[in-house]
Amino acid sequence: MCASVNQELQMLDSMAKEFAESELVPGREEFDDFPFSPLFDGALKKANEVGFFSLMLPEDMGGANRSMKALCTVLYETCRADASLGGVIFTNALAQEVMINAGASDMIPSPEEAGGNPRKALLAFAPFDNPVETENRARAKAVDGEHFLDGDVEYVMLGGLAERALVAATMEGQEGISFFLTDVGLPEVRVSEPVISLGLHACPAVDIRFRGARATLIGEAGEGGLYLSQAADRLSVACAAMSSGIMLGSFLTALDYARGRTQGGRLILEWSKMRMSLADIAIKMKCADLIVDTAGTSVDEAESGWQQASRAAALHVCPIACDVANEGIQLLGGNGYMHEYGQEKRFRDAQTVQSLLGMLPLRKLAYLNMVLEAGKY
Amino acid sequence: MSATAVKTAKDFLKQDPKPGVTLCSLIAGKKLPNAVIRETKQAIAAARKFNEEVVEPRALELDLKKMEDPDYLPWDLVEEANRRGFFTYFEPKIFGGKGVNLPAMSYFCEELASKCVGIANVVAVHYLGVATLVATWNVRLMNELMRDAAEGERLGEPRIMSMAITEPAVGTDVCEMKLLNKSDAAFRIDRVDGGYLVNGMKHFISNGHFSKWQIVFGYEDLERPAESVVILAIKSGTKGFSLGRQERKMGQKACPASELLFDDCFVPDDYVCYSPDQASRLRRPIIESNQQLVDYLSTASRPGVASFATGVARGAYEVALEFARDTEVAGKPLIDHEWAQMLLADMYTNVVMARLTYQEGNYANGLYGMFKLLQAKPIFYATKYTPKPVLDLFMSPILNMPLSTWMFRTLNFDLWKKEHQCIVDGYTSIAKIGATDLGLKNCQLALQLMGQAGLRHDGKAEKHLRDSKLLQIYEGPNEINKLIVFKSMISNLVPNTCMFDE
Ligand SMILES: Cc1cc2nc3c(=O)[nH]c(=O)nc-3n(C[C@H](O)[C@H](O)[C@H](O)COP(=O)(O)OP(=O)(O)OC[C@H]3O[C@@H](n4cnc5c(N)ncnc54)[C@H](O)[C@@H]3O)c2cc1C
Repeated sequence: MCASVNQELQMLDSMAKEFAESELVPGREEFDDFPFSPLFDGALKKANEVGFFSLMLPEDMGGANRSMKALCTVLYETCRADASLGGVIFTNALAQEVMINAGASDMIPSPEEAGGNPRKALLAFAPFDNPVETENRARAKAVDGEHFLDGDVEYVMLGGLAERALVAATMEGQEGISFFLTDVGLPEVRVSEPVISLGLHACPAVDIRFRGARATLIGEAGEGGLYLSQAADRLSVACAAMSSGIMLGSFLTALDYARGRTQGGRLILEWSKMRMSLADIAIKMKCADLIVDTAGTSVDEAESGWQQASRAAALHVCPIACDVANEGIQLLGGNGYMHEYGQEKRFRDAQTVQSLLGMLPLRKLAYLNMVLEAGKY
Repeated sequence: MSATAVKTAKDFLKQDPKPGVTLCSLIAGKKLPNAVIRETKQAIAAARKFNEEVVEPRALELDLKKMEDPDYLPWDLVEEANRRGFFTYFEPKIFGGKGVNLPAMSYFCEELASKCVGIANVVAVHYLGVATLVATWNVRLMNELMRDAAEGERLGEPRIMSMAITEPAVGTDVCEMKLLNKSDAAFRIDRVDGGYLVNGMKHFISNGHFSKWQIVFGYEDLERPAESVVILAIKSGTKGFSLGRQERKMGQKACPASELLFDDCFVPDDYVCYSPDQASRLRRPIIESNQQLVDYLSTASRPGVASFATGVARGAYEVALEFARDTEVAGKPLIDHEWAQMLLADMYTNVVMARLTYQEGNYANGLYGMFKLLQAKPIFYATKYTPKPVLDLFMSPILNMPLSTWMFRTLNFDLWKKEHQCIVDGYTSIAKIGATDLGLKNCQLALQLMGQAGLRHDGKAEKHLRDSKLLQIYEGPNEINKLIVFKSMISNLVPNTCMFDE
């Protein structure tokens, strides 16, 4: 993916590509039928085995201590094949990042503790929402030094899958939000049926209802907004990488189709309008790659303004991916609209990825605030 | 005219674009019978009632059901639409229908599509079959099949039509005869004693599984398909005809997209809507008449697709508005944020702009296209106020006479002026492109505004988005419609332009 990959990243890229080809591509359409067909347990298990759920964890926790570009590389390759697994990797990485920012990395399940079981390795999280701005959070109260959650949290990704969830809540008598780690299997936690959603079907979401469920406060009370914002600073570029991967998948499928489909007595690839559309996609893709690469480097090197680079990357690339995926359907005509060609799934997934980390317009406004505060344009 | 000569107003009006093009709605508006407005309001009310009683309670549940069981067929919807008389609502009274004016159908479709485009298509695609039949101007069969729909209504057993032109290797190509002649058409219709023998497969046929009548296009000569178009009305259950699978679509799930399989299927002469032999009796070369036929059908149906798009744009806007009203963001209602107000205003504007495109397409159709005859005031009022039994008794036998077909074909094929054909073609393609792009755009805006709520199936916005995408594809992808705009509105300004052959 990245325009300036080093050898280590190249190896990771090849590994991720191979993984995606063997574990995701053959079952993609079937996986996408979830919850009306089984979850891709095999792929999850293998992803866990190869370390995709602990990429960003420090080595002393059994993680790979990888860079942001490494995460982007893995997300790019998996999303090119099937963005649902990208959604799983991203959600988990985001939850881990929040915990790391809160100084609670010791509570993140290590690969060793998980013992090869993805349900133990993963953390459920609500990645589409910024609970500081919306009401999507539980209520927490402290009793004798312990915390208990009440209320509803919507759209918790991996909530029906992971054993533990990291959720936002408002503490009684406390400004701001706090994060809590809770066991999803507790009797006081009611998990809904999978929420039927636009995209990322095999990265299932649920609504969760808490009724006095015991939970562990993560970091300082009232500081959750900060932890999440710091995590979003870093992981925004990862959303852009996911979108970039979807664009590549869409482009390759369209190109392949155009090379085999005839209309008007010639391959549709030979109509100059088709070539123009493919050119537009290729240019957008290339620019997206460059942006992800630059922003990823900026994050890894903690360059000045890296937060802006990361956030701008997502805000720019994700909507473009929606347009590209739309054109990706169009280039296949009626077949593009059908399940078995994969393009319609990319369209749904691209739209879904665009909403990661909160409502797009609010994220744009937040970005401006960041720019103004930094005083650097 | 020399450079120094003084130009008169007439000279200026001879310049392009001519008033016939730019003033289309202005000219058409005053020619419309007044009762059109009343009928249109009634059609809107009927659609809203159907929405409230049937569509809204069923749309999401049906969409889910199809995700779970892609082979499921919502027959009850078709039966309910039949019970409400929707399959004859817009059919002319002389053919046994209720005779509500045709432009009203766009408003009707907008209403249905604002709640569910898939269900709107289940109801409206019958009229694509009707439009195809009308485009052949085979008056006897128009009379027989439309009256059959009315009979089906009386008996409580839907007798609807589908239109089948697309085949696996031939999609875009069907729109333009120059492309069709170079296509890989494989759907053969061979002349045999007493009729035709049909072999081949059609795919993506909306409502195929529901329809009693398939109005099927095929070719006598696969080397020269554009010169050998045959159109047949094939009844379900005919020997040699069977239904294949339903496609697994991203959206519009209520409406099946069906495969139709024909294996030595014999269709008697009585059900030949149009054939090369009949075309040879028209004044123009066969290939031109065939293009006229395809143009009639698509110019009648494209405003329909534009009205679906207007509906989905409106549906997305309404869902977004509701969300903005009910959701607090950063400590105040979303609707109180200025950016959200402007975004909603953009969405509202898109709805209106989309509606204007189908209205303009319909005006063009009323002035110069398929709707012209029925909208002429004397005919409109004569059919509206003549009691139905009188029409049935006296008109039906006349319509069944070959003379009627001859007369309609002379009027509509031979006397259809090229420049009129271009205006209708251009405006309806503009409607199709413009409205469908706006439809999708509004759904995307709704999702941006709604964030995670927009992604949830129960939030409705994501379904609108899935449904809207198809509108840019069927009735000819927007790309071929752009070429049609070029062909009909622009190429005549640049003589010798080469098209469809780079
Ligand atoms: C759900 C659904 C319902 C439908 N319902 C019906 C129905 O009821 N009856 C019916 O007969 N048909 C129906 N159709 C068919 C529909 O009209 C066709 O799918 C459409 O015309 C496109 O044809 P295609 O899918 O073969 O795409 P293609 O024609 O193969 O097009 C593929 C791509 O190539 C492009 N392309 C093709 N030719 C050119 C060119 N000359 N220049 C530039 N670009 C070009 C197209 O724009 C498109 O981007 C339906 C389709 C769908 C998906």
